[in-house]
Amino acid sequence: MKRALILFSLLLVFALILGACGGGNTNNEPAAANNASSSSADTSSAADTSTDEAMPEAKTETVVIGFTTSQTGSQNVSSVRQVNGLMQWMNAVNDAGGIELSDGTKVTFEAVTYDDESNTDRVQELYTRLATEDEADFLISPYSSGLTAASAVIAEQYGKVMITTGAASDDTYKQGLTTVFQAYTPASRYLTGAVDLLESLDPSVKKLAFVYENSKFSTDVVEAAKSYAESKGYEIVLFEGYDPETTDFGPFINKIQDSGPDAILGGGHFQDGSTFARQLNEKNIDVKFFTLLVAPPEPDFADLGDAAVGVIGPSQWEPLAAFTPESAQEAGLEWFGITSDEFVSAYEANYEGEEPSYHSAGGYVAGLILQKAILDADSIDPDKVKAALEAMDLLTFYGHIKFDTTAEAHGLQIGHSMVYIQWQDGDAGLAKQVVWPIEGATADTLYPMP
Amino acid sequence: MSGWRKYTGLIVTLLIVLLLTFWPLITGKDITRETIFTILLSVALASSLNILLGYTGYVSFGHVVFFGLGGYVGFYLLSVQGWSLWIAMLAGGAASAILAFLLGKAILRLRGGYFALATIGVNEAMRAFINNFEPFGGPVGMTLNFQVYRDYGGPAQALWLSFYMLAALTIIVVIISYSVRMSKFGLGLLAIREDEDAAEVMGVIAPNVKTWAYVLSAIIPGILGVIFFFKNGNIEPAPAFRLHFSIEMIVMVMLGGQGTVLGPVLGGMGYQSLRGYLLTSPLFKNIQLAVAGALLLIIVLFVPAGVVGWLRQRFPALRRVLQ
Repeated sequence: MKRALILFSLLLVFALILGACGGGNTNNEPAAANNASSSSADTSSAADTSTDEAMPEAKTETVVIGFTTSQTGSQNVSSVRQVNGLMQWMNAVNDAGGIELSDGTKVTFEAVTYDDESNTDRVQELYTRLATEDEADFLISPYSSGLTAASAVIAEQYGKVMITTGAASDDTYKQGLTTVFQAYTPASRYLTGAVDLLESLDPSVKKLAFVYENSKFSTDVVEAAKSYAESKGYEIVLFEGYDPETTDFGPFINKIQDSGPDAILGGGHFQDGSTFARQLNEKNIDVKFFTLLVAPPEPDFADLGDAAVGVIGPSQWEPLAAFTPESAQEAGLEWFGITSDEFVSAYEANYEGEEPSYHSAGGYVAGLILQKAILDADSIDPDKVKAALEAMDLLTFYGHIKFDTTAEAHGLQIGHSMVYIQWQDGDAGLAKQVVWPIEGATADTLYPMP
Repeated sequence: MSGWRKYTGLIVTLLIVLLLTFWPLITGKDITRETIFTILLSVALASSLNILLGYTGYVSFGHVVFFGLGGYVGFYLLSVQGWSLWIAMLAGGAASAILAFLLGKAILRLRGGYFALATIGVNEAMRAFINNFEPFGGPVGMTLNFQVYRDYGGPAQALWLSFYMLAALTIIVVIISYSVRMSKFGLGLLAIREDEDAAEVMGVIAPNVKTWAYVLSAIIPGILGVIFFFKNGNIEPAPAFRLHFSIEMIVMVMLGGQGTVLGPVLGGMGYQSLRGYLLTSPLFKNIQLAVAGALLLIIVLFVPAGVVGWLRQRFPALRRVLQ
């Protein structure tokens, strides 16, 4: 019996150690998101020491930014690109010596990140860890609306300001949140620009078909676009969702033929969208205007060849979009940050020639928004930064940034608009051109599409 | 003396769950609460699954369907109808129980691999149904208004409330698991696991017994779904019916020792602690999936009976304690 008790005690100790493994990791130093941010943290602490000794009045504050990355799982590619953009911003600020406040304080940044595995199981646990154990001063959202909604609960609980990027759903910002601010154009305005573009191209067109992926994001987007189109007097002749795993669009194309629309809007993600575009081209369907979500802005869409020509797609940001200090002046807005060209060249230099996608730009701009808010607040105090975010109204390389401050939709992005690209076959071969909004356009729309 | 010794197995298991429950209160850290929440959720789900998998011998790859359906029903009542959390939890459990009863009548006649395949099909069918069911938000799902949290004292209080409710449910599921194992009903299940035909010859009415075991194993996941998604703040079809989660539940039961009361508790603790540690460890976080996979492989290869099974074989004196 004595032996049994000893063994039982050992078992209990083992069980408790196992239990502690997850929660007892409190003394670990926050892991930097990459080597670059580690070195920046080292630099800032070195700066701390030297400034303390030489110039006691000028101090350095290191602000910890916490976020999760989908290092594994279905959101991996987009999430990693987003984090690459964010880290590019952070490294640039730290390399420049940080943000200088009016009292001479230099603010540098340090990143702490964990893998959320693209699912919601541990998002709240990881964000709680970021907010408490890692003492993150500010948070950046995970990639995707679902994960962001879960992390927003934690941000709100600890009163942490969180900039969301890669999360377009409107719903999250209409639930009474007070500390969460959205960088992306919300889903409700994702495709409305396409309706405006179509109206400007051909007022005689009246019949629209929506064929879309049956997922949260796409459904959110097309339902808002449908309401908008109906309010503009369009007739919706087809409104049909397809399963995310669909590879044969034959039945949907037959329905499109039967309903005879002038324009098709819809899609979902890259794989289904590009398959849909290819099969529509093979069947030689006669439509004047074809807009797909997500797939067209991706450089790989060019692999479709002729099937890509004329296809329009909304994008949160495009390198071609002409948002410049001059356009800010014309629009009467304050300009902040680098230009698109500077962003693209620095990104390609940092990430082995990889072309930045709008996810990368979204990551960068999340940091840029935070930087501007700290500068405007002249402080890293969360309440002052939050007030600065609420008052923000500026133009960046990414576009216009302004947040809703009403209680009904606090933090919802109301300044930024999508840009629309179209694949056109020019002298230099197949290339993307920005066709909407007019002020950022690089070419006229190819209409009707060939 | 002999009175409490009779219940040693239950007491040991409950002590472990209670220690886990009080850990966040002792440390006073929110992160401990979150970590233990993940562990207790797994412990409760694995213990529920153990009633079917461990005692009855039916491998269900679709057990997450009860978690998802219960979560959806409860979330709908909570966020759309404005009902209280308590009623939503009961409704979530009831919905899962009804689904399990109907499914039990239909698919528990299948055995072995056929049953396992059918459970995957049920989960996928339910996900497709919810994806097209507009009252539940279709593919968009539903998001909880923060006012609901304020009704329970704000987000911080709501997160603690979720934790306490989960802890209470974990204790309940352990007691249910122990009671089933020690009852005549449980003996019937064990007989079915060993040889279903022989069990029927011995007087066990297999279809009924299996159905009730299925119902019993589905109620708690249904209630847990409501608590999890209430805390999560939103619900969507893909995370609610994630097949991978079902597989993880099976791994936890196998790891701890199927057919025992303590096994799923240790399995859930061990699995989630390991995953949590690897995920946040500066050393392993970039290769956490590979390390977790390798460790699980080693454990399954060398300790196929699970931790409790191995300890019972190795130390016969512990058999009274490890049930």
